[in-house]
Amino acid sequence: MRRSRRSRRRARVSSGVKTAHWQLPGDAGQLPDAITFLQSFWEEAELPVALGFTFELALEEVFLNVALHGADSSRVPSVALELTASDTEVVLIVADDARPFDPLTLATPDIAAALEDRTIGGLGVHLVRQMMDTVSYTYEAGHNRLRMTKHLSRS
Amino acid sequence: MNTENVDGLTVALPAGRLDFGAAAPFQQQLEQAVAAKPRGLIVDCSSLDYVSSAGLRVFLVAARAAKAAGIGFAVSSMKPAVKEVFDLTGFGNVITLCADRAAAVAALA
Repeated sequence: MRRSRRSRRRARVSSGVKTAHWQLPGDAGQLPDAITFLQSFWEEAELPVALGFTFELALEEVFLNVALHGADSSRVPSVALELTASDTEVVLIVADDARPFDPLTLATPDIAAALEDRTIGGLGVHLVRQMMDTVSYTYEAGHNRLRMTKHLSRS
Repeated sequence: MNTENVDGLTVALPAGRLDFGAAAPFQQQLEQAVAAKPRGLIVDCSSLDYVSSAGLRVFLVAARAAKAAGIGFAVSSMKPAVKEVFDLTGFGNVITLCADRAAAVAALA
């Protein structure tokens, strides 16, 4: 049994549904650990590798949005990650206690713009919306909560 | 990141993950490659497994720098997961994407 940092992560298996939770500081330097958390879950739940790429991308984009734009100068936000895999779908929830912000209100970037006019802002969220089946945002009890799902077809 | 020089062209070979942490060093290397004024710059992505928007930004910056310097710029050999990210963001409309390195060399001829 691996210990230390992993002891903060709780994994549970019941009736074919696997879940894992992890809470970490919303600091960009934590991104590699957040990705490792996701990859560990992927291996334990034996999820498809190609789908893992999609979720790694979503986690990077959403986590960095919180870390780079959600923080104010006085405080690093706290981020809670939740992964759930059933036989039919995988769900990633990223919750944070930064100021209220719905990333789904970001304007869709102009993906037909010329090279000189291209900006990168909003591209991350655009990618997440394109690659996930559903993305929904709620603000409850002082927490932003972005829920992303992808249908799973197990052979 | 490895680079090779082939027939006046510089070929950059990013490997593994091009994420937030890897973006800055990758950008430095491409800027150095452009500053050396080769005939053209090819980014061969055959060993690249992952790219995020932070990584995409570097391709955009490099394409602009190459254009400003009058240097050809092409990206080749993308695996499906990387190609999908380029496609979903429409980067293929503004950056020359080639199936393999030979096609990129031909595109910059």
